[in-house]
Amino acid sequence: MSGQQSKTWDVAVVGAGMAGMSAALFAASRGLSVLHVGNGGGLLFASGLLDVLGVHPVAPGRVWDRPWDALAALGKDDPGHPLVRVGADAVRVAMERVMSELGDAGMPYAPAEGNRQVPTSLGTTKVTYGVPRSMVAGAQAFAEGLPTLLVDFRGLREFSACQVVQTMGDRWPGLRCARVEFPDSEALSELYAVHVATALESSATRERLFERVRPLLGDASAVGFPAVLGLSRSGQVHQAFEAALGMPVFEIPTMPTSVPGLRLKGALEAAVGAHGVSRRVQSVVTGIVFDGDVAQLTLHDAAGGQTAAARAVILATGRFVGKGLVADRRGVAEPILGLRVEQPEARDSWHSRRFLEPAGHPINRAGLVTDSVGRPLDAAGNPAWRRLYAVGSILGRQDWMRQKCGSGLSAGTAWAAVDAIAGDLGGPGPVAG
Amino acid sequence: MNYALFLGCKIPSKVPAYEVSTRAVLGRLGVVLHDLPFDCCGYPVRSLDRDASVVAAARNMALAARAGLDVLTPCKCCFGNLRHAQRLLDEDANLRERVAAALKAEGLDLPTSVRVEHLLPVLARGVGLEAVEAAVVAPRAGLRVAAHYGCHALRPSAVTRFDNPMAPTLFENLVRATGAQAVEWPRRLECCGEPLHEANPTLSDRIAQGKVADAREAGAQVLVTACPYCHMRFLSIQAGRPDALPMMLYPQLLGLAMGMTPRSLGLDA
Amino acid sequence: MADTVFHEGFFRIALWVSLALGGLGLLWRLVTWLTVRIGSDAREVSFGQRLWAAIGGGVGALFSRRLPGMMGAFFLDVLFQRRLFATSKLRWAGHLMILVGFTVLLVMHALAAWLSGKLFDNYYATLNPFLLLRNVFGAMAVIGVVLLALGRRRDWAFGRPARRPADGIFAALLAVVLVSGFLLEAQKIASPKAFYRMTDEFGLGTDAEELAGLRWVWKQDYGVAFTDLHGEPDADVLAEGRELNSQACVDCHARPQSAFVSYPMARAMAPVTATLDAANADRALLWLHVLACLLGIVVLPFTRFFHAVADPVSLVARGAAASGPLSLAGRVSRRALAADACIRCGLCDARCSVAPIARWLDNPELLPSRKVQATRRVAGRAWTRVGDGDADRLAQGAHLCTDCGRCTLRCPVGLDLADLWDAGRDDLAARGLPAPATWIQEQPAIAWAEALGTELGRVPPAGPLSADRRTFSACVQCQTCTNVCPVVAHGGTDADRVDLTPQKVMNLLRLGMVDLALGSRMVWDCATCYQCQENCPEGIRVTDVMLELRGAAWRQLGPVRDRRRPE
Repeated sequence: MSGQQSKTWDVAVVGAGMAGMSAALFAASRGLSVLHVGNGGGLLFASGLLDVLGVHPVAPGRVWDRPWDALAALGKDDPGHPLVRVGADAVRVAMERVMSELGDAGMPYAPAEGNRQVPTSLGTTKVTYGVPRSMVAGAQAFAEGLPTLLVDFRGLREFSACQVVQTMGDRWPGLRCARVEFPDSEALSELYAVHVATALESSATRERLFERVRPLLGDASAVGFPAVLGLSRSGQVHQAFEAALGMPVFEIPTMPTSVPGLRLKGALEAAVGAHGVSRRVQSVVTGIVFDGDVAQLTLHDAAGGQTAAARAVILATGRFVGKGLVADRRGVAEPILGLRVEQPEARDSWHSRRFLEPAGHPINRAGLVTDSVGRPLDAAGNPAWRRLYAVGSILGRQDWMRQKCGSGLSAGTAWAAVDAIAGDLGGPGPVAG
Repeated sequence: MNYALFLGCKIPSKVPAYEVSTRAVLGRLGVVLHDLPFDCCGYPVRSLDRDASVVAAARNMALAARAGLDVLTPCKCCFGNLRHAQRLLDEDANLRERVAAALKAEGLDLPTSVRVEHLLPVLARGVGLEAVEAAVVAPRAGLRVAAHYGCHALRPSAVTRFDNPMAPTLFENLVRATGAQAVEWPRRLECCGEPLHEANPTLSDRIAQGKVADAREAGAQVLVTACPYCHMRFLSIQAGRPDALPMMLYPQLLGLAMGMTPRSLGLDA
Repeated sequence: MADTVFHEGFFRIALWVSLALGGLGLLWRLVTWLTVRIGSDAREVSFGQRLWAAIGGGVGALFSRRLPGMMGAFFLDVLFQRRLFATSKLRWAGHLMILVGFTVLLVMHALAAWLSGKLFDNYYATLNPFLLLRNVFGAMAVIGVVLLALGRRRDWAFGRPARRPADGIFAALLAVVLVSGFLLEAQKIASPKAFYRMTDEFGLGTDAEELAGLRWVWKQDYGVAFTDLHGEPDADVLAEGRELNSQACVDCHARPQSAFVSYPMARAMAPVTATLDAANADRALLWLHVLACLLGIVVLPFTRFFHAVADPVSLVARGAAASGPLSLAGRVSRRALAADACIRCGLCDARCSVAPIARWLDNPELLPSRKVQATRRVAGRAWTRVGDGDADRLAQGAHLCTDCGRCTLRCPVGLDLADLWDAGRDDLAARGLPAPATWIQEQPAIAWAEALGTELGRVPPAGPLSADRRTFSACVQCQTCTNVCPVVAHGGTDADRVDLTPQKVMNLLRLGMVDLALGSRMVWDCATCYQCQENCPEGIRVTDVMLELRGAAWRQLGPVRDRRRPE
């Protein structure tokens, strides 16, 4: 009923995880018109920490201080890995670009030179590359073993400061814990992290919290909180905390779905929106037909089916959780176009006998295979279409979870795909920085 | 441009200034408004009897169809519900049949091609931002405005197609077109609290108070709405408060920037 | 003249009795304006305060800034009826004709002995202009009635509105008065008996030739139906008759052709005039005419035609309220007056915003003209029928109103209906029928589930969305819906925050436990802001499901609630 005017987009990006968001951002900032379809819900499960490459090889679990050194090593051992195909330069510039966009959208990242060890709510540390400014003091305090106070809030189930101290205490002797009553929550038995985060965007609430935290600081030279310091303007909230408490303040990322996940999703959506990308949040692409120079996409949402036309398509639909790949008894398939999925030959060789196999399972490396510029191959082994690119975790020959390379893989492959499309469509060259 | 003006129930009785300013501004921008004998959009009965809501909505759209006009409404709840009804009619053939029968009894046909639009998209996309900017003769330079989006136009985006539901820019662009500055405020996409006012007034008030405080903290000097329900909500929770954040309806802000007198826009001051 | 056929003593007694009864009725009606309590604030003021406000305020207003408003209301609203003029020209015309017709007939004709007779030295009912005017205004009243009858049918949204028997009786009496009046006049014009009564009285029968001439004159010029005069009269006889006529008759008798209604009737009745004379029809018609009038006085206060009194008072009170709010006592009485002054003309119904919804739900109780009656009934002391179907339909009418105010704008007598609806909802709540959100939230979800389980057995699915397992099957319980929910976020204490978060509601439905979700506070506290639906990573239509649950709760919990009520 509500008829849409027909328009041919330069690029249709299918999928709205890290890879789809990056691709939409990069394409729009290259001046291309972008239709971006997909629910960004997958981002809710993110921690806000952006990995490039932390572990290689997977089996011994070697952790690297510099992802670029790790990438060089990966290139020698596994030349078919998509990160290797894209190359360090593209990954580096793509990551810089993503982090600067996130900063503009209110979620600033600390300048990244190498990997950092960030303390988590489980009392473990996580190796990662891009660290939100609100979390970076935790990595520094841990690295330097500073006397540090961890604060939690009564009723907030996601985070127990004393549990972290219990687990990390032997590695971090100066760590203490304290529990405070969150302002205006005396009558509540349970707190929701997002609501605490929203409340902390009000300066009045913050002031009341500071009054309760100050007496507890003692000899601490850094103070940590659960990752609830603000939602859409976490950068400002974090600054206000440091100014008020007079020392480095850091957040500890919590288990998904967490505030930083929601923050990351919100910031990426804001960045994409600010670049004029046309978003279809609750739509799903159910079919793509190539018609000469144009791809016709079938979109489906609550209002029924629609079509859209685009001169290039970037497939960023993820693996099984994102439904970019579907598995049944016979094997793994790509549902929209039936692209070739590289996978173990038989169903029973998907997994190793050991559940916690250090090297990972063969199925964790299943995914699309592409040509040298990132175009996925069809069943016959040819690029499915001249301007169809696949990016992110749907790609095979990588195990991003164990290799700690999810964001680098997503942003890097997206950068390369957009670069190729922009060149093909005759757009301007890449914009520096 | 021609539209049937759908005012809904609240504007004529409770927020007449919205009608006055909408007519004044659109008239100057060359949008011709027609008055049809519309009734309730069906929103108030939507949760209690879905079909009744769809019939009410369809009847209004059928009136517009008979007059060969698209519908423009300044109310976001009316807008949302009319579009919602269109969607339900699209997806449910059985409902479509029953509604068509009910309309037929009144000599009306099921509307199939009526476009329902809200005032803001008509200004931003129909009239166009450039034309709106060109009509501004008294820019509101330096005025810091918090634009309140209102839920039922923005979401669910699959039905309303108002703007990017996660990061909309339409309202801020229109604010900037008047020469004013659109402040960034975290809760700009949150609910005004009106729909739960009857069920839980204290909670509703707290939601609205939180929004106003948030807008003020972001440095806003005026809170601008484009929906009678939101407008009434923010007015009523601030009534009698010396620190009340001034309220304006978007066509009032635009009208002032277009050089119209406050009086002609239903503004007291 | 009337005295000759009508027993003066009996007439006087009947007149005074009917005036007394009518007066009592009027008093009863006036007292209801000061005693009927509509709205919760009505309980704060006593009868005495209201009486004082009505008398003191009414008189005081005449010497205050309210006077211009009241004057304007009297002349423009009451006399000219401009509100009706704006709403319906047809009805306005009919109404004004009735108003003018009956008022003039009352003053000039019915009260002739007290008013017209004293004001005009030469007042005779049988002289012009009085003869002509009586017909003019009588005809006006008849035409007015016809116009109203036509206009009414057009505005009935739900067929003929219910009427009290007294209304029918009064309408019949009015018809009797109008018809008998014209018939009586016609019969008197044509009646030879009436002619002879006059000639006897004035001693004109002594000269047979003169009388013959006079008969010819009255046959030819006055339309008396003499059956024994045939052919042409002798010119001399006629001249003599004319001579006598000009001496004895013309001073009191204009030629009846100016009775443009009765005279044609008289001509038409000529063949049966003699029979009617023999049956003393003039006497019977006069009795009928007068008794119908007197009976009308008695019945009037018990009918909706009393609006002839109530509406002007209401309009003037409205004029007074225009220049500043009335006292609480005044407002409460104005509300009672409004409930009393409405005659269910149905003009509001025709433009009621929810009329299409009323038709679809087949519930006329949504319409304002019905709601006025319902409001009055609910406010009445005798109303205890919470829990029957009628009460539920009535409550539906009150709670589905959108407060658009069009009925108030359109009401031809300016009743403040918006205020009446507010007050009526108060009363419904006090009587156990508040808005669904309120009564469902009165007990916890688990109590509702128990009530449903024990009394209805299996709970049907809430609607097409929640009946479809696919709606929730993708839910991974990630809590995003709860995290983005402003209602969950702003619950200040455990007491006023939601009981089940959106994610928990989805989980219950996923497990098929609709009964546990139905009575949840969350379902009604939901702001319908669609944040949950928009943000759900699995595309679950969370808000749409919430709305569906509301409808189901309304339908399914109502009966359970009613059965559990003590009354």
